[in-house]
Amino acid sequence: MKPLRVTAAALTAVLFAAGCSGTSNDDQAQANPAPTDGTLTVGLLGDIGQPPDPDIYYANNGLAIVLNTYEGLVQYEDNVDTVKIAPRLATTWEVSADKKVYTFHLREGVKFHDGTAFTSAAVKTSLQRRTDVKGGAAYMTAGVQSVDTTDPATAVVTLKEGNAAFLDYLASPFGPKMISPDALAKNKGSDNAQTYLTTHDIGSGPYELSAVQTGTKYSLTQFAGYWGTKSPFTKVELPVYNDSSALELAFDKGDVSAIVAALPSSDLKKYESSGAVDSYLLPTLQSALVTLNPSGTFFKTAEARLAFLQSLDREKLIPQVLGNRSEVATTLYAKGMIPGGADKQEINYKPEVLKAYAATLPAGSTMTIGYATGNPNAQQLATIVAAQMATLNIKATAQGYPTAQVFDWVNDPAKGPDAFFDGNNGPDGGNPYMWGHVFWDKSGGINYFGCDDPAVDADLDKAVLTGDNDLFVAAATKYAAAGCYLNFSYNKDWVVTQKWLTGVAESHNIGANELNFAKLGIKS
Amino acid sequence: MIGFLTRRTGAAIIVLLVLTGAVFVLQQYSPGDPVKAYLGANASPAAVAAERVSLHLDDPLLSRYWHYLTQAIRGDLGISFRTHRPVVTDLGAFLPATVELVVVAFLFALLLGALFATIRTLAGTLVRGILLVGATAPPFLLALGGIILFYAHLGWLPATGRGGDGFLLAHSLVTGDWAVFGAGLQHVVLPAFVLAVAPAVSIGRILRASLQQTLGADHVRTARAKGLTEAAVFGRHVLRNSIGPGLSMAGLQLGFMFAGVVVVEQIFSWPGIGNYLAESIPAADYPAIAGVTVVLGAVYIVTNTVVDMIQALADPRIAL
Repeated sequence: MKPLRVTAAALTAVLFAAGCSGTSNDDQAQANPAPTDGTLTVGLLGDIGQPPDPDIYYANNGLAIVLNTYEGLVQYEDNVDTVKIAPRLATTWEVSADKKVYTFHLREGVKFHDGTAFTSAAVKTSLQRRTDVKGGAAYMTAGVQSVDTTDPATAVVTLKEGNAAFLDYLASPFGPKMISPDALAKNKGSDNAQTYLTTHDIGSGPYELSAVQTGTKYSLTQFAGYWGTKSPFTKVELPVYNDSSALELAFDKGDVSAIVAALPSSDLKKYESSGAVDSYLLPTLQSALVTLNPSGTFFKTAEARLAFLQSLDREKLIPQVLGNRSEVATTLYAKGMIPGGADKQEINYKPEVLKAYAATLPAGSTMTIGYATGNPNAQQLATIVAAQMATLNIKATAQGYPTAQVFDWVNDPAKGPDAFFDGNNGPDGGNPYMWGHVFWDKSGGINYFGCDDPAVDADLDKAVLTGDNDLFVAAATKYAAAGCYLNFSYNKDWVVTQKWLTGVAESHNIGANELNFAKLGIKS
Repeated sequence: MIGFLTRRTGAAIIVLLVLTGAVFVLQQYSPGDPVKAYLGANASPAAVAAERVSLHLDDPLLSRYWHYLTQAIRGDLGISFRTHRPVVTDLGAFLPATVELVVVAFLFALLLGALFATIRTLAGTLVRGILLVGATAPPFLLALGGIILFYAHLGWLPATGRGGDGFLLAHSLVTGDWAVFGAGLQHVVLPAFVLAVAPAVSIGRILRASLQQTLGADHVRTARAKGLTEAAVFGRHVLRNSIGPGLSMAGLQLGFMFAGVVVVEQIFSWPGIGNYLAESIPAADYPAIAGVTVVLGAVYIVTNTVVDMIQALADPRIAL
């Protein structure tokens, strides 16, 4: 046995040494060379989850595929830190004073991947399919009454009632994308082409979906008939990595060209300080959020909720956990959603408020602070805050919950934790209604604990008819007073790329947390 | 033999009914709303409620289970809430990757287990040392260590993926596509080794103990006394009498390997059913979870049946 033990010990030492020496910055001092075969490789962390069908896909990981194969009428302007609608397949547009009629003048010379010319008929087909498929973002076209296609170069969309957010619906990365009416008719089947679009695309974007290996890799090929700028990348590969360490190793080795919003913030310093790669922090509408559960025992009263929110030292927590990619949120909506920042968030760090409140609590009071499993930033925040509660004699526990469970709380909020830390979340688009409705309205999608004020919902519903910012601010202020919610931090998209990749900031916009591959290039 | 197979088939049906029934009961009582995975995180409660009705999720448990069973008999295991594809299609896409990984890992485990048990030189000590270190390390650590060493440092092996889809190795072997076969082998070596290490030690230990016991038996001493060579003694009189416990353990380990691929497939981004299961669980994608459960249950039962048959062939004293 003796030689065996000695061998085992020696091998352990060798493996340990190999592991420890794995990823030092010294190894990366040399920048990796640019590809010579015209292939851009963008690593995905985990599979995209849903099919890359623009009327089905309602998650983040696979947006790059949807947004590079399809185009909408409008988009958010690239490379600016504000919410500004920019042309895409519509070059100009007019909106009626009552926000009911939207007239789009369409770009000429646009062809879909099947060769069909883009006309107003495609607009009608695309909006109709969105409604028919009944996906998660079908609400965006639910208000469409008719689409006038008399002029092939002009689409006139009439809504059932005024909606100041409609342009934002169209500019949203999840908004309706234009699809070829001919290709849809040809491949419609019995499910409105849903099966067909799991492995094909019928869009007009700069790339075509050329291969799908669910869970393994997605491949895009440059569309020769694209109307806009073309990049030197004739092929884009999106391999799936299920482990962030494996993804990082592939990036460090140069096998992956870029990683978009996939790595944990704890890696930020490593790549920001590396001279061998480029690190970008790009503007988004995303935030870290704290939501409190009024159905639990601890946060039954607004007094308790506001005391807790004031105990969060965001000036310290944000740099400690989220790093440079985040800053303290000072507004109730996303950064820049309300011009001039009139939606000021009045929650400041006052630990003494919770201390005084805690003194009134019975001994042994408990609190559960939740986070979504798989979100290391939220986990770290929840853990630190839970530890801080101990100093106030509150026995707090940080607990992870699977995503499906998180979204089930709204059906029975009492089953949820007392507080929930959301590391990164955001609205579908840049209109304040898209934030307020989703996070504050019980009928929105991400009001986890159903903390609702009908007066707030009414204000939001009224404000969206006309785009009245004062009313949006009033709704936000009213909701904030309930203490169910804190806009914890403004988050940025963290993109790491090989040194040779250019056009990164120019290919990104505040709404889409992805890159337009057509705008990327190779440093000469 | 027919009686044995009939008994095993009957048992298999009961086991699969119990397994799928357990998944449905879990689905009923586990917290989690799979419709959000189906529609997307920002979907409104109204859209979610409508889709729940459309997917029959509000129907009584027994009604849903009966519907599932009647559909399953026709080869329809439902639609995955996450991928929106039929579960059978998903399993057809992911199962070949897992089968090839497990088969290669099983061959590794048999080979390494045999080396562990039989070689008594310095090389054998080295093999046992490597395997013991590997078996004591958690699979994720071993996998990451392997990726760092063989991919990042040495550049010998790829870190993730498998270089194609379907029965890649089998197909390229049959068609003589050696380039694809070579690439497939390169991809499978590391994950298969990680998956094989612990079973190899289990098989090796049992086989080694069995061999040592047989080597001291009277009939072996007699064989040596008759002047047979050591190789003949080992081949004819030791191995055949000792292999039963090793085979039994190998069969058990093969079943465990199918269940244990989840971690290995995750780290190596191996597109198999382990990965599929790991992504389906957080999304509460119960049709997918039930589908994988059925497959794993069936594989386990078939594996054990085959092992029993091989054992009976190897040792005529064992009756089926």
